[in-house]
Amino acid sequence: MLKQRIIPKFLIEDGRLIKYRQFHNSPREAGNPVSTAKVYDSYGVDELMLLDINSDRSEDHGVGRLIGIIDKMCEEIFMPVTVGGGVRTLDDITALLRAGADKVAINTAAVDDPTFISAAANRFGSQCIVVSIDYREQDESRTVWTASGTRNAGREPLEWAREAVSRGAGEIVLTSISRDGMACGYDHELLERAVRDLRVPVVASSGAGSLEHCRQALASGVSAITISSLFFFSDHSPIKVRSYLKGQGFSVRASSSSRN
Amino acid sequence: MISIVDYGMGNLRSVANALTYIGETPIIVSSPQEIMAADRIILPGVGAFADAMTQLVQRELVVSLKKRAQDGIPILGICLGMQLLADCSMEGGVHEGLGLISGKVCRLGSEESGLVVPHMGWNELLVSGVGTHPILSKLRNGSCDVYFVHSYHFIPEHPNHVLARCEYGHQFVAAVGESNVIGLQFHPEKSQDNGLEILESFCDWNP
Repeated sequence: MLKQRIIPKFLIEDGRLIKYRQFHNSPREAGNPVSTAKVYDSYGVDELMLLDINSDRSEDHGVGRLIGIIDKMCEEIFMPVTVGGGVRTLDDITALLRAGADKVAINTAAVDDPTFISAAANRFGSQCIVVSIDYREQDESRTVWTASGTRNAGREPLEWAREAVSRGAGEIVLTSISRDGMACGYDHELLERAVRDLRVPVVASSGAGSLEHCRQALASGVSAITISSLFFFSDHSPIKVRSYLKGQGFSVRASSSSRN
Repeated sequence: MISIVDYGMGNLRSVANALTYIGETPIIVSSPQEIMAADRIILPGVGAFADAMTQLVQRELVVSLKKRAQDGIPILGICLGMQLLADCSMEGGVHEGLGLISGKVCRLGSEESGLVVPHMGWNELLVSGVGTHPILSKLRNGSCDVYFVHSYHFIPEHPNHVLARCEYGHQFVAAVGESNVIGLQFHPEKSQDNGLEILESFCDWNP
């Protein structure tokens, strides 16, 4: 049976792992991405997601920095890696895939020009193209924001996700900016609707503060959940999270020991 | 030395990195001459079947690959590389493959089934019980989760060419083999320990 995936999410700024709250507040350094990735690989995690947040925070956009990190990382870890952050062109995607990435996440560039999704899916295959959607919650409504949460795109996330899928996105990542780093739980209301409406894997991102939050998110039926703060700043390791979820009856991978 | 075929569509680095990690010497080959000189070949593949065959034809690699298969050289197709071994694929129309293992490639699930496609993630490899193939023999406890990401699957014509299956909506073929040619639908280079063990077994295998 296909397992639901638990994915550590790495945000990288100036080559270091970093974690914010709601995208811009209370930055905390979390270490070296390559050595941390090796640690997670030894835990046998399902996949890694790496987002370079520099590119939206400075004039210098470009995937060069990320390529250097992926290149190093993929010499020693042998699991799927999704990368993103400042991906604007097909050449960016080519370079990242060549460096070792398996999937490339596009966000702002896709909202600005949705035909970019189809061009990428046609060139590289839908399974390589992830559309990552960041949104803010306000009362009952949700709105997509791009450029690392600095620009209001004026769209509803699920409506945008449907369009992205129709254009060839092979996977959708939904990140609630409001819940980012807040340890208050995932947005299951949206996630349940997304799982019902979309015919591609849906990944829930933002909000894990406890094992129970992870359980609730998987219960919504998503294909995967990403976890950042819970792994970096608490004593919950991927092994503990996976073990708890397996005990709750979810189909997740059993922990296996590393070759090392 | 393991020759990894570069035809413009494959995650060469990942496969090469995995081989290096397990102590092998991978080389990238892209010409018919290099393929004729290879004594162990891996055909990776990510993307669409038709594009892949177009690339192989344009780079004049089809004849040399077929010849090496006839010569008895161990050949491993991974993911799209496995699908290319088939007679044909239904992806985006009907397209001819390399025809190294009889069978065809069809889409997973159907509109009605509502199956989420691509099949993406870790799923259990169900290895054929009797006479497990040497390249799957090292798997711990005879079964394991490996990483899949695909929207099409290979249906071999002969049941005895099925080495392993997997369950997603329905059972599909996850590994095929005929004589010296093997195909794996999943990515061993992305399947951590289990995947590295399978690659090691392929490198040690003398058909």
